[in-house]
Amino acid sequence: MPELGRAALVATLGLALYALLAGSIAAWRGRRRLALSAQNALMAAFGTSIVASLVLVSALIRHDFSFVYAAQHTSRELPSGYTISAFWGGQEGSLLLWLLILTGYATAVLLVNRRTARDLVAWVTPVLAAVTLFFAFLLVAVATPFATQLAPADGNGLNPSLQNPYMMAHPPLLYLGFVGLTVPFAFAMGALLARRTDERWIVATRRWTLVAWTALGVGQLLGSHWAYEEVGWGGYYAWDPVENAALMPWLAATAFLHSVMIQEKRGMLRVWNHLLVVMAFSLSLFGTFLTRSGIVSSIHSFTQSSIGPWFLGFICIVVFGSLALVFARLPLLRSKTRLESLASREATFLYNNLLLVALTLTILWGVAYPILHEAVLGESRIVGPGYYNFFLRVFGLPLLLLMGIGPLVAWRRASLRSLGLTFVWPAATALATGLVLLALGAGASIPGLIAYTFSAFVLASIALEFARGTRARRALSGGSWPAAFSALIGRNRRRYGGYIVHAAIVLLAIGIAGSSAYDTVAERRLERGDTLVVGDYRLTYRGLEEREAANATEIRAVLGVERGGERLGAVEAGKNAYTAERQVSNEVGIRSDLLTGEDLFVIAEQVNADGSVYVRAFVKPLVNLIWLAGLVFVLGALITLWPDAREQRRLATRYEGAEAPARP
Amino acid sequence: MARKRNPARLIVALSIAAVLAVFLLYTSIAGGGTPSISPSELAGQQGIVSLAGRVQPGYKGDSYGTGLRFRLRDIKGDSTKRVIVLYKGSVSDQFKVGREVSVKGELRNGIFVAVKDSLVTKCPSKYTAKKST
Repeated sequence: MPELGRAALVATLGLALYALLAGSIAAWRGRRRLALSAQNALMAAFGTSIVASLVLVSALIRHDFSFVYAAQHTSRELPSGYTISAFWGGQEGSLLLWLLILTGYATAVLLVNRRTARDLVAWVTPVLAAVTLFFAFLLVAVATPFATQLAPADGNGLNPSLQNPYMMAHPPLLYLGFVGLTVPFAFAMGALLARRTDERWIVATRRWTLVAWTALGVGQLLGSHWAYEEVGWGGYYAWDPVENAALMPWLAATAFLHSVMIQEKRGMLRVWNHLLVVMAFSLSLFGTFLTRSGIVSSIHSFTQSSIGPWFLGFICIVVFGSLALVFARLPLLRSKTRLESLASREATFLYNNLLLVALTLTILWGVAYPILHEAVLGESRIVGPGYYNFFLRVFGLPLLLLMGIGPLVAWRRASLRSLGLTFVWPAATALATGLVLLALGAGASIPGLIAYTFSAFVLASIALEFARGTRARRALSGGSWPAAFSALIGRNRRRYGGYIVHAAIVLLAIGIAGSSAYDTVAERRLERGDTLVVGDYRLTYRGLEEREAANATEIRAVLGVERGGERLGAVEAGKNAYTAERQVSNEVGIRSDLLTGEDLFVIAEQVNADGSVYVRAFVKPLVNLIWLAGLVFVLGALITLWPDAREQRRLATRYEGAEAPARP
Repeated sequence: MARKRNPARLIVALSIAAVLAVFLLYTSIAGGGTPSISPSELAGQQGIVSLAGRVQPGYKGDSYGTGLRFRLRDIKGDSTKRVIVLYKGSVSDQFKVGREVSVKGELRNGIFVAVKDSLVTKCPSKYTAKKST
């Protein structure tokens, strides 16, 4: 079996190498059949990657501990769902997942685009093949998942904190996002290589970028929810380098998704868009590098790590290679139009981009600074949450405000008079909200109050856009209000889907501000019958319960919950002792109030032999809006992604006859 | 083609200047992160520092009561220096002998008195460095 896996990986390596060489020659010399052959080779690499993945999955399921990977990441008692998710529980498996998803994307992209954008795809193929080649090489030569050993009786098991349903969905979604950013990168580079610097590469990749961006966004929210429920310190995001690893490419991709609209509409920002796509892809590689090379824990583990130097080398090649290519094609990337006014839709998009990039780069600096400091001066440093929170406020709050301003500003040039008229309602709503909240005592946190006021502004401007659009559509085609509303969204999916995504971001901002700026905490040691008061809640400790699960002993402190004299049942918080892994994990108790979006969050910090417990409890207002934001986000993203036959026809006619590349 | 001044460039230039200004202002006030010190380097350090080390066998006490006492040694190198840490507050599930931890605090009369709830246990599985375990 391991031989089959290794052979499949070697075959993937060979196919990728062939696709790279043949694809380059074909694109260079304009040989169609050779180009097709290169594309087929890349698609065949998907087949061989599937074979390699199946070998690993079957080893995990069969508890074949002669596979080092299976022995290190599973045990006999591990529930079967987690046995499969152990596939991405370690370094080698994660790299194999990267390869599998990459070749999968490549196959789908080639099948969808090879007829409509043939000359572009001819150059995209070798770029995709080069990335595939790198990962296949790592898996064959540096970090093989198919190393074997004399099988031990049982495996080490999976880290208990990874034994959570979220961990089955969170990593694959993140990888779908990370890897998906290869597609716009490959098209951007392909367009430069083919000297096709018009908007077609953007049109061809818009949906792919959106898929990757959505997956990355949802993946991060799932990760946050996992951290909230499982890691159990009362938060959901800690500015940990591995978390930032996913946030940075997402922010860069967000900037890219916005600025490509300017290029599509006005032919501007071409160089900028290429730089953004290089940045997003490099950051996704850097993210994988951060989480998989060991550099975060210490620069020294990086030098011991087998894949670290390779990854760093590849990132350097990608960054410098693509920058050189952009530079070489600069004359072709000149904009045809210029920004006409600082008060225009284009300008607000530009401000949004600059803020997003500034936020991304400051986070990157926060991640890189300790590493560089240790590498250069030999003394390690820690950049704490204070740094990140500061820049999140400085750049994030204006971004929030811009989300409300942008949609209301006219393209090209907006007059002060029209601006004043459109801003009356949203600004009045925001002001009223701010005053009411101030009266309710929200002034305790100034950033929180600003976030809420801005959120009201954005929501009002989104509502205004929907109301105006629906009214206009109804005036145009008659019918009922709901029919006009759905026709409005159906006919402008990108625009209104985008607004729904904006609404999701506002919910996220409200949830984050509510749970971080206005939370309450209390803690103490409780004997049976003792009570702990936190916010409006009164917790009474009733006693301990112990039970045996399949792979762990679960011990729970049961606490009765009361609020305003009303009994609200009980929460359980405690610990799980995992037998095979010989580890203990905290299991928090959460009581969500779906009406107010508030959580009561209980941690049993310490369970003592005499039956007493040390409990810490939080009240987190509005925290559930964060998870609701995830659902709204997916809804909005789906609307923008949904195939639109009208749009396809329009684009097809626009680029018809644009087949022959303009060679100077 | 005569190129007129492009307002987009002006915006980009001004924004970069603004971002740099904010950034420099922040780092000059808040400093560039807390120094992370190993037990062998701790002697003579003033003020609050972040101490990173490996937990040694034999820790005792109650972090939720009078305080948990444990000893740390350097993560790397062969220094024999050990530092006693007195800590109160939350302790991660991952905390045990041999784990790498980092904790904030200051040296008082030879004992590293930790800031409450500042103990962070580095989770070894999160940043897979190498295969050998």
